Amino acid sequence: MKQRGRALNSHLRNSFWYGGKSMRSHFWNRSAALLAVVAMAACGGGGGSSEGAADDAGEAAPAAAAVDPSTVGTISGMANFGGMVPTMEAIDMSAEADCAAGYGADGPMAQNVLVSNGGLANVFVYLSEGVSGAPAASGAAELDQVNCRYTPHVLGVQSGQDIEISNSDNLLHNINATPTENRGFNISQPRAGITSTQRFQVAEVMVPVRCDVHGWMQAYIGVVDHPYFAVTGADGSYSIANVPAGDYTMTAWHEEFGTMTASVTVTAGGTAMASFDYSGEMMGADVPMGDALVLEHGTNRIRVERTQ
Amino acid sequence: MKRYLSHPFWQGAIVVVASYVAFEYVIGYVLPVIGVASAPVPSSVIVEYMLIVLVGVLLYMSADEDRWQRFREPIRATMVQPDRRTVRGILMVAFPVLIGWLAYERVKPSYAAPATLRAVHPAPPNQLTFRGETIELTGLENPLREEGSMEEHLAVGKRIYVRNCVPCHGDLLDGQGHYAPAFNPVPADFTSSGNLPQLTESYVFWRIVKGGPGLPREGTPWDSAMPAWETILEQDEIWAVILYLYDQTGFPPRTWEEEGGHE
Amino acid sequence: MRAPRGTGIVLLVLFAGTPSALAGQEDAAAAGKVVYDRWCAECHGETGQGDGSAAASMLPRPRDFTQALYQIRTTGSGQLPTDADIRFAIENGLPGTTMPGWPNLTDGEIDDLIVYLKSFSRFFGQGPAPEPLDFGSDPGGGPAAVEAGAAAYLTMLCEECHGLSGRGDGTSAPTLEDWRGLPIRAADLTEAWVLNGGSSVEDMHTRMLTGLDGTPMPSAIDAMNSGVVSPDEVWQLAHYLASLGPREMPPLRDVIRVGRAEGGLPADGGEEAWAGVEAFYFPLSGQVVQLPRNFAPAVDGLWVQGLHDGNDIALRVQWNDPSNSPDPNWDEWQNKITTALDLDGAEPIALDSVGAPTSRPPDAVLLQFPFEPPEGTDRPYFLMGDAREPVYLWTWDSETGVGAGRGRGLDSVEPLAEDPVAGEATWEEGRWTLYLRRSIEIESDGLDFAEGTPTPIAFQAWDGSSAEVGKRSSVSTWYYILLEPPASSTVVVTPLLAMLLTGAFGLVLVRRAQDRRRDG
Repeated sequence: MKQRGRALNSHLRNSFWYGGKSMRSHFWNRSAALLAVVAMAACGGGGGSSEGAADDAGEAAPAAAAVDPSTVGTISGMANFGGMVPTMEAIDMSAEADCAAGYGADGPMAQNVLVSNGGLANVFVYLSEGVSGAPAASGAAELDQVNCRYTPHVLGVQSGQDIEISNSDNLLHNINATPTENRGFNISQPRAGITSTQRFQVAEVMVPVRCDVHGWMQAYIGVVDHPYFAVTGADGSYSIANVPAGDYTMTAWHEEFGTMTASVTVTAGGTAMASFDYSGEMMGADVPMGDALVLEHGTNRIRVERTQ
Repeated sequence: MKRYLSHPFWQGAIVVVASYVAFEYVIGYVLPVIGVASAPVPSSVIVEYMLIVLVGVLLYMSADEDRWQRFREPIRATMVQPDRRTVRGILMVAFPVLIGWLAYERVKPSYAAPATLRAVHPAPPNQLTFRGETIELTGLENPLREEGSMEEHLAVGKRIYVRNCVPCHGDLLDGQGHYAPAFNPVPADFTSSGNLPQLTESYVFWRIVKGGPGLPREGTPWDSAMPAWETILEQDEIWAVILYLYDQTGFPPRTWEEEGGHE
Repeated sequence: MRAPRGTGIVLLVLFAGTPSALAGQEDAAAAGKVVYDRWCAECHGETGQGDGSAAASMLPRPRDFTQALYQIRTTGSGQLPTDADIRFAIENGLPGTTMPGWPNLTDGEIDDLIVYLKSFSRFFGQGPAPEPLDFGSDPGGGPAAVEAGAAAYLTMLCEECHGLSGRGDGTSAPTLEDWRGLPIRAADLTEAWVLNGGSSVEDMHTRMLTGLDGTPMPSAIDAMNSGVVSPDEVWQLAHYLASLGPREMPPLRDVIRVGRAEGGLPADGGEEAWAGVEAFYFPLSGQVVQLPRNFAPAVDGLWVQGLHDGNDIALRVQWNDPSNSPDPNWDEWQNKITTALDLDGAEPIALDSVGAPTSRPPDAVLLQFPFEPPEGTDRPYFLMGDAREPVYLWTWDSETGVGAGRGRGLDSVEPLAEDPVAGEATWEEGRWTLYLRRSIEIESDGLDFAEGTPTPIAFQAWDGSSAEVGKRSSVSTWYYILLEPPASSTVVVTPLLAMLLTGAFGLVLVRRAQDRRRDG
């Protein structure tokens, strides 16, 4: 997906990989209390006994795809961010003055890690196991290009769903999607007002999208074959409604922190909670003191410095 | 028509004209079209050939007194007959103009590159040094033919060829690699019957090991862009690529028995 | 992640239907594999991933057939190619890349090969067969169409990548990547003979509407359908692109003719003074003779013009280079080239703690001549001479300007401080123009030119932003440069004399023959 910085990212992914069963339930227990910070993430062994939720997922699988209000519940939660927030680097948009003018005095900043009040935005969360049968996609997802950035930065769609890509900037963008499981596309939109409609046919998390004219423009589209997904908002929260009651595995994806999973049990009419904890402290764990860690990402460089 | 064909003068004229056409056009342009390797004949060579043809024609005509008289007749008639006055006048002007034009062609400033005569296959040395190691070339066979698996040797040879040789000699081994246009002389065409089948493997080994810098001083040594591959490849790699060249083109190498006379 | 080889065959076979078609496809794929393994695998890899043993020295890399991302198609963006598209690429090759055309393969072999290539990817055989787009018909060319096409070029904002003059020097050019994340050039549209999709108006039109999958080149079809440009304007744009330069590589002539300047030599490389002076094109190859070799050179050729006035000689050398090195905008490009290419043992340019290169090499060009007028046809070694026979160099780089030197090999150049060669270079819209001037004969060390005598000349070039330094250069072998001698009276006198003598001789002959006849 990303050529540069791959080794580093995979390292991050490994250190953030909460794949073990006990960890999952640990998460679940803590998430229920909506605790934010990750101070005890390292003491992974202390979680409660396994409920075996994922194991008997088949038994609890919802039978029908149609939404019956009496059989569905809601999943909601947070992507929490603890510790030092990496500083986003400024994007040099001097080549496109019209775009640069759309930002405040500080100018445009990279969007790789957006944290607000302890919540991490742009985390793509979706049910990765336990879903059987789903309503067909309806309506179109929208991806806009505003002031030389993608809006939204992370987009979730259902396989087969229309993605309407539009250009609000009166200048040339190309939308270059490079999936590996789907067929990609690369379309030019040299004016405002042009709309292109595209689809991805099979599930793929994630499909990178970039604009080659503006190397800093990067978006990610998560494609899953059901409608049970969400992207965390600016405050780090998300909510997935109309989920058939049952036991599921949830996966959260973030472009710098890789994936995490959690188990979740949805009851009819209830709201299940599933939160994911990210940490700036852990991100810097391998960095020698005093040195800067550089993540290359598109044309942006994120400088992560550890403070002591 | 028949009258002209049986007349010695016109026979001579036809021979001269046909010879010129053959030297100027057939050798240079028609033969390549029908698949025979050839190139245009330099003008100085054509002049030489034409002189020989002319002398030959005159010798033939004057060998027989009767024929000589008949040959001379039209020329003499044109020079003296009052009724040929017009033809005579035209020739008296046209001939000097032709000579003048030929003279101009010779003295006019030329912007052509000096002709370089290049030995296609210069004589190889009897021995060479490979990174300091002396190797006798005479009688030398490709050692890989006697050892190991031919399939593996060919795989190595192909890998070496594609990595190192393709840019100039081309994927098709025809000397048309993507860098070929930048090189003068053009890279060797291994698919030509004039190359590999004429050479022993030890000769090819020498040319690869020493490349352009190792060519003998005579024959404009420094024109070839061929690297001296001893600086880059091992001996076995070179022998393997030689196997690949012969295998991929389907030519057999020249043997030392065939070479015999030259030793 | 990767489907194992053969999966695609099975898919193809499943969709082919009847058992006999099934067997036929299997046979074809097996036959195609023989062709593939013999001719294709060393670059494209045994498993079709474009990772053969020679791939790392190539940029752009060989196609990865498992992704089924084909640049040269007649189908829409992201669509699979038709069989005819794949055949087109095999037959014609991809100019400007290391992929040649394959005239040695028979039609049947290519058919089999196509079946086998498709078997590398799971995408083939799913859904309906790909259909070509409707390209409409060409409303015709001509000056008006070219002018309208030039306007469409700007409307479509092609210059963002390809630059205002089409030389691939747009503001976005330094950041372009292919689907693998490897650096890729915006095409230099003025050198149509190295456009990988062909150089005809139809080729250009097709490429614009389909895009080049796997590269940053997008499809213009939504822009056209939205009315930003009309279908006719896209054709006119194709005519404009085709007008930007010659379709074929200029014919190679091995003598640069340096004419006598009427009314003084040009004082600089300005267009006005050099308009109408014959220009000679010389293709350059990578320096692939000595380690470390350069298998993906940035400068692929240069144009040379010359004039002299009996005292001085002036040369103008022009070549396309989208980067005016050193330029920090190209830092990332330089870093990417350094990591993407097998440098054949060359020391990569180190990065500092924030990932910026620790050095930015300049652009450079040098002209080499023999140090002494050559005897016969002997010439120094074309790679800057050797210990036995040095070369005389005119050097230029974008940091230190013009100079002269004595070369005794690629590693050994000693500057000649006394040499009076002078000049300057300007970079504009992706092209360097280098002006050089020197007196024909000099007192210091160096070659004296002689009017009317061909002097050997050869070239080398470097693009600093592509991390080209030292032996990683572009080179040519020897050509000649020839200063036109002053008009000589012999050119007139000799033919006249010959005519006079022939005429007199003819007259005498005829007179004698007629006399003899009267006497007889």
